[in-house]
Amino acid sequence: MAATLFAKFVPKHGWLPLTQTVRHGSKAVTRHRKPLHILKQKLLAVTKYIPPPQPFPRGAYPSESDHNQEDNGLMLLQKKDLKKIFEDYKMIAVVQNNCGNAEDMVILKHRLHKHGISVKFFPNKVTRPFLINSIYCNMAPLFIGPTVLLVSKEPKVKEMLTSLRASPQMTLLGACIDDTLLSVQGIVSYSKLPAMTVVQGELVSGLTMLTSHTASLLQRHPAHLSSLLQQYIKQQNPNNGTEASPTAEQAT
Amino acid sequence: MAAPCKATVVLKAVKKIAVQFCPFESNTRSTREFLALVGSEKARATNINCQVVSTVKHDKSEPVVDVTYVDGEQLVMKGANLTCSEMMSAFQSRCTNKDPQTKAAAKK
Repeated sequence: MAATLFAKFVPKHGWLPLTQTVRHGSKAVTRHRKPLHILKQKLLAVTKYIPPPQPFPRGAYPSESDHNQEDNGLMLLQKKDLKKIFEDYKMIAVVQNNCGNAEDMVILKHRLHKHGISVKFFPNKVTRPFLINSIYCNMAPLFIGPTVLLVSKEPKVKEMLTSLRASPQMTLLGACIDDTLLSVQGIVSYSKLPAMTVVQGELVSGLTMLTSHTASLLQRHPAHLSSLLQQYIKQQNPNNGTEASPTAEQAT
Repeated sequence: MAAPCKATVVLKAVKKIAVQFCPFESNTRSTREFLALVGSEKARATNINCQVVSTVKHDKSEPVVDVTYVDGEQLVMKGANLTCSEMMSAFQSRCTNKDPQTKAAAKK
């Protein structure tokens, strides 16, 4: 078609026409999936990738390589930070967070900040070796998956529990309070404990109850005490009344 | 490694997911990863009525995932010897079976 047009329009002294009709057949870029040419189809089938047969699925066994990798500067910094945290802060709680949005996290951080609890993020790759090499090795199995540390200088367990109850995605796993590893039930019972001063007061009063009772008795009038003793003797020996009374009179 | 190919987890046919595990045990990795995937915002946004409850225990019990579907069926997965991807595939296959209409509509 183009050849015939061209032959018709080009005159002998050769000038190019104003309009040129370009051959238009099928397009390369289509909206539907264009069927492959049979040759291309054959080529793709022949050169298809066949993965080598795996004896066991990937992920069934842990890899043996990559055990000893040198710590880069960031990891060393983070380990130093962790060490400082374990030294400074009395309460370190481990929480698994499933919340994906930052809004919830910001709200929770704000709520905890009011009670002096700060939220710390560390990669598990750094915390696990640090914990295994320190005295807190029993805390290491807690750090799997997305975990967050809630640290505070004062063990404010009740407030922490109320804030965590408000956000359902955060799961409390355990805590290290005053160098003591506690599970969830332990944390709950810790929160129900009364304050230290109250406990000490109760203990002291319980121990000194007997002695204080004796002291108050001795401060009474001696006549009162002697009459009490006489009554006691009478109660002890109701049958032998005549024998006991002369001994009591001798005592007073 | 253990994340499913389909990034979003659709919980349309699920009523409740109860996950219980003991974090001090060493066989809880897959259960915890499953919980992280299912409890994420994206997954929960697919069905707001679905409850995701996690219970933390300390009695050396096995990690268990208990899924209750809308039509009353229960799926109990004991995650002690399962990988996260196995649990996810089992869970998602049942979800797609339960909810074929929305899936077919989405694919078309």
